[in-house]
Amino acid sequence: MTDTLQRPFVARSTPLEPVISMVDVGMTYPNGKVALVDVNVSIPAGDFVFLVGPSGAGKSTFIRLVIREQLPTAGRVVVAGRDLTVMKRSQVPALRRRIGIVFQDFRLLPAKTVFENIAFALEVTGATSAEIRQRVPRLLNLVGLHEHDEHLPAQLSGGEQQRTAIARALVHDPAMLIADEPTGNLDPVTSWDLIQLLIQINTMGTTVLMATHNQEIVNAMRRRVLALEHGTLVRDESSAAYEREY
Amino acid sequence: MRPFRFVAFSVVRAWQGFWRNAMMSLAATATVVLMLVLLSGLFIVLGGLQSGLQYIEHKVGVTARLVDGLAQAQIDALVVDIGNLEGVARVDYISPVEALERLKEAYREQGLTLDLGGAPITLYASVEIALTDPNFAGSVADALEGRPEVERITTRQLDYDKLLGIIGYIRTGGIIALVLVGLTVLFMIVNMIRIAVYSRSGEIEIMRLVGASDSFIRWPFILEGILCGVMGAVITIILVATAWEPIQPIMVRVFQMPTAVSTQFLAVLSAIILAVGLGVGAIGSWISVRANLSSAT
Repeated sequence: MTDTLQRPFVARSTPLEPVISMVDVGMTYPNGKVALVDVNVSIPAGDFVFLVGPSGAGKSTFIRLVIREQLPTAGRVVVAGRDLTVMKRSQVPALRRRIGIVFQDFRLLPAKTVFENIAFALEVTGATSAEIRQRVPRLLNLVGLHEHDEHLPAQLSGGEQQRTAIARALVHDPAMLIADEPTGNLDPVTSWDLIQLLIQINTMGTTVLMATHNQEIVNAMRRRVLALEHGTLVRDESSAAYEREY
Repeated sequence: MRPFRFVAFSVVRAWQGFWRNAMMSLAATATVVLMLVLLSGLFIVLGGLQSGLQYIEHKVGVTARLVDGLAQAQIDALVVDIGNLEGVARVDYISPVEALERLKEAYREQGLTLDLGGAPITLYASVEIALTDPNFAGSVADALEGRPEVERITTRQLDYDKLLGIIGYIRTGGIIALVLVGLTVLFMIVNMIRIAVYSRSGEIEIMRLVGASDSFIRWPFILEGILCGVMGAVITIILVATAWEPIQPIMVRVFQMPTAVSTQFLAVLSAIILAVGLGVGAIGSWISVRANLSSAT
């Protein structure tokens, strides 16, 4: 822990080695609904990738497979060099400490302050009080909330709540950050502030995978785009726009 | 340091969780107390009756009242014959003079004086037969039944058999009641933990997402159930210790025999109460945690 404290936010995978790799992945739910069909994708370390597609296209399932909340019904999912389809349940917590995740609805604990929300993620993984006192202020500085550490989530704006959620997601110095519609509840200006923060985190070496409907941001950023439709990966382009341009 | 952090985290979270749903937690604790008071009552009554049984067992013997005018040789022969019967430990001849002395002694013990109005009194001679086992009372009595030297035979076998029957009924009834109350307690604790799991589902989800191990997620809930059981046990021990002295004379009055049990019995009972409280709390919460927290892949 001490070592990582001195080298914050450096991806642990070597550059170009895929942090996420899906091979012939299919996912059919027990009720027969087909969520993903034959998806093949490789995301190298340090990449910034948008995952786009209409509602029900399979974006959430894609994310759930990456964090091993679900297992695919076909194919292999490899994250940070580990094949999740053969991973033991006891190894899942260690995997999840290498993946930070934020959601559209922030998922903060309303009775805890900003500091406590971030500290909670360390506390529940056995960090000492000294480690918590050392790491949390640094994360608060990174996301620009060092003056709001004693505030409850209800006392924060949407953007500040999402920044708190990002700080919490980064608490274990993850190799990748998955953001599921992080700007969905934010106004355009706040959304751009948040994107700037994600770019900063990506620049520090953390791979970012962002599922979004926000065309403006995707078009302006010109990063790699994975587009899903009816569970099929219909587009995988670098420096791309939200929609097909040819 | 990590194991210490884990234990500290789990204990603190269990304590917070217990008071967060205070009504449900206290209701579950009250049912634990009810069960343990019932258990204690059963142990105390059965323990008291058992010591009463031992008292009677000690006293169970056969007394043969002898006809008047027996020659010493006849008495000696009778004592020898009885001594040869199976299950006889000792035979004592009680002369009319000794019987009178005993009667006077019994009066003196009760602070009275045997006033015979100056008239002479002659009591019956008898033989008192101590047995190696109360179960021989019947066969010894049967063997004496036809003897011409014997006028009447008395035994406490009936008292013994009656008490055995009562103990059997109380034990069976008590165990049935305990099982029913025990199931209620389990139901209460399972529900208490289920409500706690649902009320903290947001926290649990976050814990999973940030990489908390199953132990960190589960043990606070299990400890919460154990806390409920242990609190119930401590309350019960205090109740039993307080009621211990007043219970003793009531027991003697109700059962008409010395039923007093030792203070060591109280210590053993306290340990049993604590173990049962802890066990039922742990089992209830473990069942609930397995049922409500096992869905994660």
